[in-house]
Amino acid sequence: MDAFLSGMAILVDPYMLFLVVAGTVLGIVVGALPGISGSTTTALLLPLTVTMTPVAAIAFLGAIYCAANFGGSITAILINTPGDPSASATAFDGYPLAARGEAGRALGISAVASAIGGIFSVFVLIVAAPLLARMAYQFGPPEYFALAVFGLSMVAAIGGDSPVKNLLAATFGVLLATIGLDLTTGVERFTFGIYALSDGIEFIPVLIGLFAIAEMLEQAAQRSTVQDYVRLKTVQLPSLADFRKCAKAIMLSSGIGTFIGALPALGATTAALICYNETKRWSKHKEEFGRGAIEGVAGPEAANNAAVGGAMVPTLALGIPGSTTTAIILAGLIVQGVRPGPHLFTEQPTLLYVVFSSMFAANLLYLVMGLGAAKLFARIALVPAAFLWPSVFVLSVVGAYAPNQSMADVWTMLVFGVLGFALRRFGFSPAPLIMGLVLGKLVEETLKQSLLIFDHNWLMFLSRPVVVVLFLITAAGLSMPLMARVWRRLRS
Amino acid sequence: MSKMSTPLGRDGLTRRQFAAGSAALAALAVSPARGQEKFPSKTIEVVTHAGVGGGTDITARMMMVHAPKSFGTELAVVNRVGGSGAAALAYAASKPRDGHTIMLITQTHLLTIMQGKAPVKYDEIVALARATDDPQILMVGKNSPFKTAQEMIAAGKTKPLKVGATQLGGVDHLATFGFAKKAGMQQPTVVPFRGGGDIVINAVSGNVDVGILNYAEAESQIKSGDVRALLTLAPKRLGPLPNVPSSKDLGIDANYSTVRGFITLKGVPDDRLQALEKGLIEAMKGQMYATYIETSGQSPDSVVGRAPWQSQLDAFYGEGQAALKELGLLK
Repeated sequence: MDAFLSGMAILVDPYMLFLVVAGTVLGIVVGALPGISGSTTTALLLPLTVTMTPVAAIAFLGAIYCAANFGGSITAILINTPGDPSASATAFDGYPLAARGEAGRALGISAVASAIGGIFSVFVLIVAAPLLARMAYQFGPPEYFALAVFGLSMVAAIGGDSPVKNLLAATFGVLLATIGLDLTTGVERFTFGIYALSDGIEFIPVLIGLFAIAEMLEQAAQRSTVQDYVRLKTVQLPSLADFRKCAKAIMLSSGIGTFIGALPALGATTAALICYNETKRWSKHKEEFGRGAIEGVAGPEAANNAAVGGAMVPTLALGIPGSTTTAIILAGLIVQGVRPGPHLFTEQPTLLYVVFSSMFAANLLYLVMGLGAAKLFARIALVPAAFLWPSVFVLSVVGAYAPNQSMADVWTMLVFGVLGFALRRFGFSPAPLIMGLVLGKLVEETLKQSLLIFDHNWLMFLSRPVVVVLFLITAAGLSMPLMARVWRRLRS
Repeated sequence: MSKMSTPLGRDGLTRRQFAAGSAALAALAVSPARGQEKFPSKTIEVVTHAGVGGGTDITARMMMVHAPKSFGTELAVVNRVGGSGAAALAYAASKPRDGHTIMLITQTHLLTIMQGKAPVKYDEIVALARATDDPQILMVGKNSPFKTAQEMIAAGKTKPLKVGATQLGGVDHLATFGFAKKAGMQQPTVVPFRGGGDIVINAVSGNVDVGILNYAEAESQIKSGDVRALLTLAPKRLGPLPNVPSSKDLGIDANYSTVRGFITLKGVPDDRLQALEKGLIEAMKGQMYATYIETSGQSPDSVVGRAPWQSQLDAFYGEGQAALKELGLLK
């Protein structure tokens, strides 16, 4: 209890409070800017935190981490450009909402869902971290393989209306995931001797291209229309009915997001994509998805922020980082002389409560700031296309260039922009393509690792309980539409 | 973007300098002849293959904390990601050989050069100072039947063990190959993973028989008893692991470590090489860097000068080339 109180006490210390507020504001801004992610920011600020006390350093970095994940949704909704890769699923329905003149509604639900997901995961972190962390040991390559297959099993239903086109787009995504150095053979595939491709295709430029550049081309292809009617609704915040509609999606995604975040090999992007699938699967209004479903914003946002707390679980309880940003936070802690691991929970409980209270506070702060500024941000959606999209283009080029300071990434972005535009013209959705790209690599690598572990005996998969359960859930999900049809026929 | 141009956001500064473009370059071109010029006369670029926040990037930034004082000039990290170091080597090769461009490299760069994937030959690599030296350690999970290194080696003679390592054809793989050969074991099945954390988890859960890891990667698990370190692949035991035998204790001449160090490319005048070596070592004597070395589990005598670092590079290059050929990964 003493530890808990002294952990919470940081929130009444003006200096600590300042750090948490500064971290939150900084996190929202860098999260919203495409190309500058929470991980880049924490890496650049790492030397600065070394001069702080361990408690101050982790409070500051934790706040940035939480807020950056929320910030990503702002640009995803307003200009179809995920500010952070984890917000890509948010753009699927967030941008259609904004384009329809309901930006405020989307931003509001994003802030609330993010905060609920984030706070939920922080509670899980503090209550169940040592327990959840043991779970990481149960997840080897075979289990990740089964989980990735489960995630991919929904691709035909995600995105556009045509399952065949969705499958084709997903296959193309999986194909793109094979580019680069193959982990299990050490051989480069489809790189054509280009250095920039040897570590695989960069995800951020692909995202910016598929979303922002494709949308810019789309806008350029349309005649300008005056959309006066949207002005009234644009700055409106979500209604109570909206929250009621999203409650189930937020709860489901907070749970799944925390779980996936806690697995060291998976992060917020995967969590958001899988939860987008699940939200759609369990929704009563499946037909709205991809056209501006409010649940389609709530689900992934709750999930990617829940994954933040989740990712802190193995970082603090095992000393094994669950994401790029937690890897940097871990490095920061180690330099401070704090060695996370199972003993941390018994030896330095105060530090844990500091993590807890700073992340809790950051989640509350961005909720207040997000709701307060939603009306302001929403006005961006009212900027005439002729002014808005050229600025988005500039932002996109900078965003693609910045992380690796690489022109190759800018070209990747432009290629995928044109590709995304063409795909859309032919009725393909970017959603299954991104699913294929993210999960394709995981499926392939974990399958090869599993077979090495199993001495190439495929039946060994069935010797793992977790794998069997995940396979059964996948089979059930795949056969659900068929079963429903049979059931209806039997009844009538 | 403005927040990136704080004194610590050195990448931001670098980018701006690039953007400033021709004006600045022209000004430099008319500066006095190089002979009389004081060195260093401008920002020294530290090129790394790691992205911002990567392990090697952090090492560079830790060195740089004290470097401006020892060099009397600013330093800036240049991240050139891609091609397992090839992009970074290509960037360095494109710069004048005047000592204002140095690189922080790992063995991966040498493997890339070996495979002919970089526009630089090995004899162009000039060692300056080693930054970190991290011995590789063979570890098993707590439920493993192997209690000692001898038991593990004996088992490895009857059947190929499964060893969790990073990328195939990489540093871990070569160490595994070299150790097994020298210990008279059957060549193990290498199961490649993305990083140390994954290897630790799979060693604990028994998915692999043995993991090849650095101390810091498994420190928490060693302390909690989830992981047992069996053998340090170094000539002497590691400070924090006094009870774990070294390969020399077992009479096996197999020493492998993950190293990072500073180099420059051939053509830099000798007086400047000396200045760089002196400045780097001084910067790495700083309190911040010393703490970093200590807390990240590196060998305490990580920092060494040109001569020992060059001979370590030479040895790795020779042995690595032979091993890759034997593994069929190099023609």
